[in-house]
Amino acid sequence: MNEPATIKVESRPKEPSRTPREWIRKNLFSNTPNTILTFIFGAISIYAIRELLGFILSGERRWGAVATNMRLLMAQGYPANQFVRVWFTLGCLMALSGLSLATWRASGRLSLGKISTWTMNLGGGLALFAILAPISWASRLGWIIAAALFLLVGLSMWFGLRDSEKRFSGSVPTVWFTYGFLGVLVLSLWTVPYGHYAFVDGELIAETGRTVAMSTKLPFTVMWLILVGSYLIGTQVRQWIPIGRTKAVLIGLWFLSPFVLNWIVLRDPDFDYAHIASTDIPLALMFAIGGGLVLYLLSKPDLGEIGRIVAIIFLIFAIFNWVAAFFGWYPMLQKVRISFVLLALAALVAPNFAADKKTRLRFVASWIGLIAVSHWLITAINSPSTLKLQGPTYLGGFSLTLFVAVLTLLLSFPLGVLLALGRTSTMPIARVLSTAYIESIRGVPLITILFFFSNILPLFLPEGMEIAELAAIVTGYTLFSAAYLAENVRGGLQSVMRGQYEAADAIGLTTSQRTGFIVIPQALRVSIPPLVGQAIGVFKETSLVAIVGAFDLLRIAAYVVPSQTEFLGVKREGLLLISVIYFIVAFSMSKYSQKLEERVGLGER
Amino acid sequence: MSAETAHTTRPDMIVCENVDKWFGDFQALKGVTATIAEQEVVVVLGPSGSGKSTWIRCINRLEAHEKGTIVVDGVELTNDLRNIEKIRSEVGMVFQQFNLFPHITVLDNVTLAPKWVRKMPKAEAENKAKELLEMVGIPEQASKYPGQLSGGQQQRVAIARALAMEPRIMLFDEPTSALDPEMIKEVLDVMRDLALGGMTMMVVTHEMGFAREVADRIFFLESGEIVEEGTPEHFFTNPTEDRTKLFLSQIL
Amino acid sequence: MIQETPPQNYHHQKPPFYRDAIVVKWLFQLGALALVVFSLWFLASQARDNLAARDISTGFDFLSVDPGINLSEGIDTRPATGGRALWVGMVNTIRLATAGILAATILGLLVGLARLSNNWVVNKLGSVFVETLRNIPLLVQIILYGAILANLGDLSYDSGWDNWVIWSNKGLSIPRVFIADGFYQWAIFMLIGSVAARWAYKSRQRQHDETGRDTYPWIASLGVLGAFAVIGWFIHPIFGWVGGIFGAIGDGISKIPEEVLQAALSIIAVLLAGNWIRNFLRSRRTPGGSAQLTDDDKFRVIFSGVSAGLVIVVVYVVWPGLSSWMINSSSDLFGVLDDKFGNGRSGGPFGADRPEVIKTGMFEKYGPSGLTMSIGFAAVFFGVVFYTAAFIAEIVRGGILAVPKGQIEAANSLGMKRSAALRTVILPQALRVMMPPLGNQYLNLTKNTSLAIAVGFSDLVQVGQTVGNQTGKNLSVFAIWMLFYLACSLTISVVVNFFNVRLRIVER
Ligand SMILES: Nc1ncnc2c1ncn2[C@@H]1O[C@H](COP(=O)(O)OP(=O)(O)OP(=O)(O)O)[C@@H](O)[C@H]1O
Ligand SMILES: [Mg+2]
Repeated sequence: MNEPATIKVESRPKEPSRTPREWIRKNLFSNTPNTILTFIFGAISIYAIRELLGFILSGERRWGAVATNMRLLMAQGYPANQFVRVWFTLGCLMALSGLSLATWRASGRLSLGKISTWTMNLGGGLALFAILAPISWASRLGWIIAAALFLLVGLSMWFGLRDSEKRFSGSVPTVWFTYGFLGVLVLSLWTVPYGHYAFVDGELIAETGRTVAMSTKLPFTVMWLILVGSYLIGTQVRQWIPIGRTKAVLIGLWFLSPFVLNWIVLRDPDFDYAHIASTDIPLALMFAIGGGLVLYLLSKPDLGEIGRIVAIIFLIFAIFNWVAAFFGWYPMLQKVRISFVLLALAALVAPNFAADKKTRLRFVASWIGLIAVSHWLITAINSPSTLKLQGPTYLGGFSLTLFVAVLTLLLSFPLGVLLALGRTSTMPIARVLSTAYIESIRGVPLITILFFFSNILPLFLPEGMEIAELAAIVTGYTLFSAAYLAENVRGGLQSVMRGQYEAADAIGLTTSQRTGFIVIPQALRVSIPPLVGQAIGVFKETSLVAIVGAFDLLRIAAYVVPSQTEFLGVKREGLLLISVIYFIVAFSMSKYSQKLEERVGLGER
Repeated sequence: MSAETAHTTRPDMIVCENVDKWFGDFQALKGVTATIAEQEVVVVLGPSGSGKSTWIRCINRLEAHEKGTIVVDGVELTNDLRNIEKIRSEVGMVFQQFNLFPHITVLDNVTLAPKWVRKMPKAEAENKAKELLEMVGIPEQASKYPGQLSGGQQQRVAIARALAMEPRIMLFDEPTSALDPEMIKEVLDVMRDLALGGMTMMVVTHEMGFAREVADRIFFLESGEIVEEGTPEHFFTNPTEDRTKLFLSQIL
Repeated sequence: MIQETPPQNYHHQKPPFYRDAIVVKWLFQLGALALVVFSLWFLASQARDNLAARDISTGFDFLSVDPGINLSEGIDTRPATGGRALWVGMVNTIRLATAGILAATILGLLVGLARLSNNWVVNKLGSVFVETLRNIPLLVQIILYGAILANLGDLSYDSGWDNWVIWSNKGLSIPRVFIADGFYQWAIFMLIGSVAARWAYKSRQRQHDETGRDTYPWIASLGVLGAFAVIGWFIHPIFGWVGGIFGAIGDGISKIPEEVLQAALSIIAVLLAGNWIRNFLRSRRTPGGSAQLTDDDKFRVIFSGVSAGLVIVVVYVVWPGLSSWMINSSSDLFGVLDDKFGNGRSGGPFGADRPEVIKTGMFEKYGPSGLTMSIGFAAVFFGVVFYTAAFIAEIVRGGILAVPKGQIEAANSLGMKRSAALRTVILPQALRVMMPPLGNQYLNLTKNTSLAIAVGFSDLVQVGQTVGNQTGKNLSVFAIWMLFYLACSLTISVVVNFFNVRLRIVER
């Protein structure tokens, strides 16, 4: 019950061990139709593999196009002299991943039997490749030796463990296996030369002679060390700091990281310190102190509904500020408007913290923290970037794909939950509105929404208000995926029993407390697998932004590289490569979600 | 109204007057009138579908009655949000299906409401929760999840959770009906202790032994009407109404 | 604590409105509604101002103006009006979606069964198909297929395979079965035939129930249908008069005055609202006769009344052209039906032909006889078919695995034959599980055809984008997209729901 995953793996009935001959007979030649199927589809597979290998290895293929454009595919035109920022970003993510892996103990163990099977499969695959590929006999020999090596290792592992129970019970932690695998990949950078292109002084320069490894082998090694090191640190931290607190901090960091890493690290805002000292800091202080005081008062116990009325007035005022902004009735800094909205929301939740002084002070402290972080971010976003760019944006290629996917998911999540709550609520108007929204969005293709937001949205905005192309795309994509997310969450909401609502009411929770503490956690638990599926979908469909002009991975592979003079029209190579990249990310996510589904054990706990 | 009012000296805790309740065009409660005094333990009996659950769910406004008056501890139940809030935190309820929150530990189940409704500091809430768990006899289960407990243990946690709000009234809706026979006793023991401690209680149950022993008064409900009320002796030995006799003959 | 307070004191204690649960609930909702309406109104007014500032007019008049564009393919590659251009796009989308749904279903079914196979090779092939294709973004696949097809050899007389299948960088061409002149009248025959077949099925079934003999109801009903098809093939022109009826209906509709339709719409709205309110009140009425309407109920009644009022406002004030548009378009529809079903359409319902290569001037090209897919069409077609088939395969597999093993064992233990067990026990249950997600996949496929814009196939989105950029009427085009895709979604859901309901009956 505590660890259903391990129980599941171990309680699986062991397959009766069969000799290879029996296995082949049962799975390939059990009866006449089966034999015929085996021959037909065996022939088809062999033909297909041979064709595919022929295509990949053909002398006409110009794999140099992708190899030399690796940097373009990954980071597009990010200035080379600022690359340390990219590495810093990646390093932060690695550190966070390592710590999280250690904290959540997210991964299980790999049985030795499985590892030996994989090794054998790899050897078998290599052997197949060596036999089928249209290559010279000399190079074929090399591949065959490699295949034989893997097969040998795998077989000796398998049969070495034959009589011991170890084949199934002996295992290594998946994390260490993965780290070892990544380590081998990083090591290969030190020996295998990949070519690259670079933007130097605004021009695209071919550096076919140099290797990517020359510029990236050190950083990637450092990344690997950070990953492994932070994992080790994480395992130590477990023992010193309460696990709940570590988790909370890590979740906060994960949430902040896209914003901080993108707008502050990668974009390198050019802060205007004079302006910051004269306006931004006083403003932030004003809100921190003034807002803190107001919230302290509002969280006074026994304030009753006066508190709520004040909060509603705040909310109306905050919304009114935006209306006024659209009509241009009075000027106000955007930052101030946002802060008023935050203040109104904080005022709405204030009654929940109406307790002793300590709780109230903690509430005020988190308000001050919120103001500090949000003002810092808003100032950074509003400052111009110091980067000297060649392309239209500083993000491009795979980094843009990832950024759009992550930002969209982060932003559409709260919206989707709200919509799902609206659709399942007992309030008829709220239900009708959310249903209408969800169904009409789900009825139209994403591409039309993206067109709407990149072409048509400017028409809807008041004069003088511009929305950058990428922001328009992310907005559209967020509004789109929120509708789908809402449907997934709705499934979870409907699985929460009526009794849970009644029990929450009976112990006196307010509606928002009931929703936040009881309903949503249970609903989300159930909807995790479909939500991961949704996340995969969002990741895959970021490719659509290429159609509306963003320079994502697909656009660079399908349109930018084939238009370089050296590689005119070389399209299929790049597309195949990015297919592999997309596949690796999507496939590993889906495998992970399957694991999760087994572990959550749907319905239990 | 009530013939034997041994409790007139104590203040009224629950006053129902001519309470009507409809579900669509089906009338579930018909002019229910009753007064329950402080520290009184009443048991509500009646055949299935007679409106027992509906009645006690009206008392903490899980259902809204449509006509008549319900006054709980001096507060009338209307649409007034403040009153609803007040009554919810003063009336504890225990359900047939336990309805524990499965995603948080037993301790969190018990401390959730004190922390967020009573605004009790965390340490204090946890101490109180541990005391309560001790009282219901499962102090060692605090860090488990509800799904890991037996039915009887779960129901005792549910009682502790309701008690953590320091209610002045406890409502029980068939608290033992979903339990195996050997677990029923442990829950009934807790309820008996509670009654002896002076809690005002309203209990829907089919445990006649409990009713006979612990109840101060028994209400017999049929088709949404109070058919008969009286002390246990009166009720079990010489009921006046035919319908009550029929019910008792079937159940005893 | 109270001391013997009589409850009467508590009567008529209305809380202030901000504390009344019901009032607060509705105020909140009305506030949200007001916010949404206000935002929409505000955005619309902004758009109007901005369009005016840019000297662009809104509206749909571009539908009847020559957009001056050429389309890559479709029923009309040089459309004379914007409306015609969009119509061509719609036809292309529907063509693509229909063909895609058919092919994806068949392929998905096969792959799904392959994944259940005991044969290791077949099983693994199925897995590889599914895992690869559903984890690579559809758009990447479409562009990749487009690039591969564009790199095929040049078209010549000996391209492809013996005038059965021809492929080249100009596209693919395969044998074609097409709807010929007599199809619509023949369809009437088939309609009657299916009623007859249904009757035959029922009566055979009844016979089986009565006598217990095997009466093969399926075979009987298919036989009846076949007979109708064959006979109809020869004598279908006798239904030529049906067109006249449609024509007469169309004429009748076009004579309806606008005011009558407006009034009718308003009356319908009022009647519907009134009916709803009456039923609602009746459901709240009790034998006791006391009306216990809660405040919540009152709000509901008011709200539905207001909705009816809104409909009237829309019909008369906001969009007065609505009724004339409805009259015109439905009489047009019947005009088209008149033409299709009318007299003088002899000839068989279907025709068939093989593809061929012809030469006009210097260049080889595909002749009109085959079913030719352009590179664009083929790329999108293969893209959506493979991608969707991967998902359908998983649905099929899941559906069949969802049938509990005990069911199969039970059927076997009853001594049913394998095929009978499959037909009567497993398939109905599996289909019931499969139907809703399958419908979802069909919806996705239809929406995904919009990616055709990436390979230049003239589907609705591509045409709309061109027309919009040409005329500046992006907003109107977006509205048309929205309506079209919503209509497609609705159609598919209705069809899927129909089958769903049927399946439930089968199960019963
Ligand atoms: N939410 C509801 N909607 C419609 N009818 C309801 C609802 N809740 C209860 N009823 C009806 O009201 C009547 C009284 O139900 P109630 O649950 O109070 O009975 P009960 O005396 O508790 O029965 P049991 O002993 O079976 O629990 C029943 O006829 C029931 O069908
Ligand atoms: Mg009940």
